[in-house]
Amino acid sequence: MLGASKGGAIMPAASAIRAVVVDDQLTMRTLIRSHLREIGFVNVGEASDGVDGLRVAKEEKPHLVLTDYNMPNLDGLGLLKALRADEATRSTAVFLLTGRADKELVQRAAQLGVNNYLVKPFSAAVLKSKIEEVFGKLS
Amino acid sequence: MTRPAQDRFAHVVGERGGERVVHVIQGEFATSADPDVVLSTLLGSCVAACLYDPQAHVGGLNHFLLPEGSGDATENVRYGVNAMELLINDLLQMGAARPRLEAKLFGGARLLSGVSDIGQRNIAFAERFLHSEGIRCSGSSLGGESARRIRFWPATGRARQLLLHREAEGVFAKESTAASRKPAPAADDGSVELF
Repeated sequence: MLGASKGGAIMPAASAIRAVVVDDQLTMRTLIRSHLREIGFVNVGEASDGVDGLRVAKEEKPHLVLTDYNMPNLDGLGLLKALRADEATRSTAVFLLTGRADKELVQRAAQLGVNNYLVKPFSAAVLKSKIEEVFGKLS
Repeated sequence: MTRPAQDRFAHVVGERGGERVVHVIQGEFATSADPDVVLSTLLGSCVAACLYDPQAHVGGLNHFLLPEGSGDATENVRYGVNAMELLINDLLQMGAARPRLEAKLFGGARLLSGVSDIGQRNIAFAERFLHSEGIRCSGSSLGGESARRIRFWPATGRARQLLLHREAEGVFAKESTAASRKPAPAADDGSVELF
């Protein structure tokens, strides 16, 4: 089973990892999905805010949730907290995506159990390396 | 309240008639809900997106230029989307609502003939972004061969444009450099009220 096993020895295929992209900007979701496709992901869902993201995560049970921080209704930290509070999604890997580097925000996310974070804009190569930090080298 | 992106980049450059003028340079943005604040920028092939919420009376302006040369569409989109997102996020934090946001677009001139039309790429991106995100564009002045000085009142969404013709482009070239961030004295003569 795939999971967020930092430094794990298994080499999962990117195509076997289910991901969900949560961002209130359609353009950003499209861009991140494009990056994931480039890395080899084939199963990528999306949601437009934290509330929608939580619903999609519970339905699709992804291995990885990539969530923006600044969103209406429920922000990225709220989504992270909700995912960690639910038995079904507790072990889902969550990456926080932020528009600018914010040490305090990252610390709060770390306390809530975030697995990794990226500052936008980022390339597909950077995203891949961040995923590999958590899932291990992708085959 | 005025929220420049980062103090070192967005500059209050003076006061005129009780208004504070904040100059926004390439790669940066500024937002404000203060009716006495004017956001100013100088555009060549760059594009400025002026976004505002007419109900919350907050607005902001960014000034972006997509990367040149790579021809990599994804790379271009990546930087453009980020420029727009930073501005929108700041406005939402100040009380704007995404469905109410309106936009005015300026810039994208072709200042040099015989080289790739960077301005057109910037225009195409900005228009496509607004369309994708469902943000209504209530006015624009794009393309052409003249640089532009833009003044934008973020609390009301009012915008004025001054086209800088050939004889004034020396001023533009000077102001465009990072070493010279102070704009020339604002010239109201000949400026055109837009929208």
